[in-house]
Amino acid sequence: MRNRGIGRLAAATLCGVVALAAPVWAQDAAPKAKGIESEGYQWNQMEGEKVEALTLTGDPKRGEAAYEVCGACHLPNGSGRPDGTFPQLAGQHRTVLIKQIADIRAGRRDNPIMYPFAKTLVDPQELADVAAYIETLPIPPNNGRGPGGDHLKRGEELYKVNCVKCHGPNGEGSMKDFFPVLAGQHYAYLLRQIRDIAGGKRRNANPDMVKLVKDFPDEDLQAVVDYMSRLGWPERTAKPGKQG
Amino acid sequence: MRRRGWTLAAVVTAALFGVQAMAQEPPAGTEPAGTEVAPPAATLDGATLFMQRTCFACHGKDAKTPILPEYPKLAGQNEAYMVRQIMDIKSGARNNGNTAAMQGILHLVNEDEIKALAAYLATLK
Repeated sequence: MRNRGIGRLAAATLCGVVALAAPVWAQDAAPKAKGIESEGYQWNQMEGEKVEALTLTGDPKRGEAAYEVCGACHLPNGSGRPDGTFPQLAGQHRTVLIKQIADIRAGRRDNPIMYPFAKTLVDPQELADVAAYIETLPIPPNNGRGPGGDHLKRGEELYKVNCVKCHGPNGEGSMKDFFPVLAGQHYAYLLRQIRDIAGGKRRNANPDMVKLVKDFPDEDLQAVVDYMSRLGWPERTAKPGKQG
Repeated sequence: MRRRGWTLAAVVTAALFGVQAMAQEPPAGTEPAGTEVAPPAATLDGATLFMQRTCFACHGKDAKTPILPEYPKLAGQNEAYMVRQIMDIKSGARNNGNTAAMQGILHLVNEDEIKALAAYLATLK
């Protein structure tokens, strides 16, 4: 008993030392750019390599070759994983893809898993190419969905009041406005993102969206995201059995 | 114990590849047709796990060409050391350096799979 007490004290002291020392050796590989936590933050400011990549014409053929490294986690058909570890990418607007990768690369969206891949993209042309390729992939219809049940009705109401204006009735988003396609996205991924956006953890978030969802109770986030995970966009969703 | 390992592996694989990973049983009739995907059989083959659980994406197909220079080469690394480090990163006991990247994905492997991976990686030159 006595020993354990001393052990605890030692552990607590060690934790203190570790906490003090941590900033020295627990450095992130990624840089940190100013995000939503900073004063004067402006969402989707048009600057840097993002602008260049958006202006260039992406070549899906070259993009297919560049995508090989992405396919390791997001899978060759872009579907990601139904458990939400990696998002579904197929059919996403190229503008959204370019913005997100540029933000991760700049350190404005913190994603330690994705960062090295964003970093090793060669140049804005490769970014444009890979985004153009991903956009051509059909959205797989078998994404991970929420638990379903009674809250779907609430989810639908919330979606129609709050989300449809930007993300569209089918979850088609907007290429022009950098609003992502939601159709076919995994429930677990959507839930993680909306929680991060509501809680200020996703630092490249759109302040309009933060304002909209920050006071949602978690049950409402779950309900609306469950509804979203069931959206299909006929124009881009693969027919069952025919996905890439 | 052996059987439990396999069951765990099966559960993880199902969670990884199954449709409805997050779902408790959805009410019948709410799912569109054609969404059933048969999960691949559970495996404790280290080489397969290394590809399937996305390890190779960062550590390189040969386990010695990591995507960032500060990521470790795993080929030929000591087996017991790797198991210990991965388990510690998974539990949060090790929480420094680049562990933030690993912590986001280690739910993709259980202890038996980690041991299989380490045994395989240790044999690589």
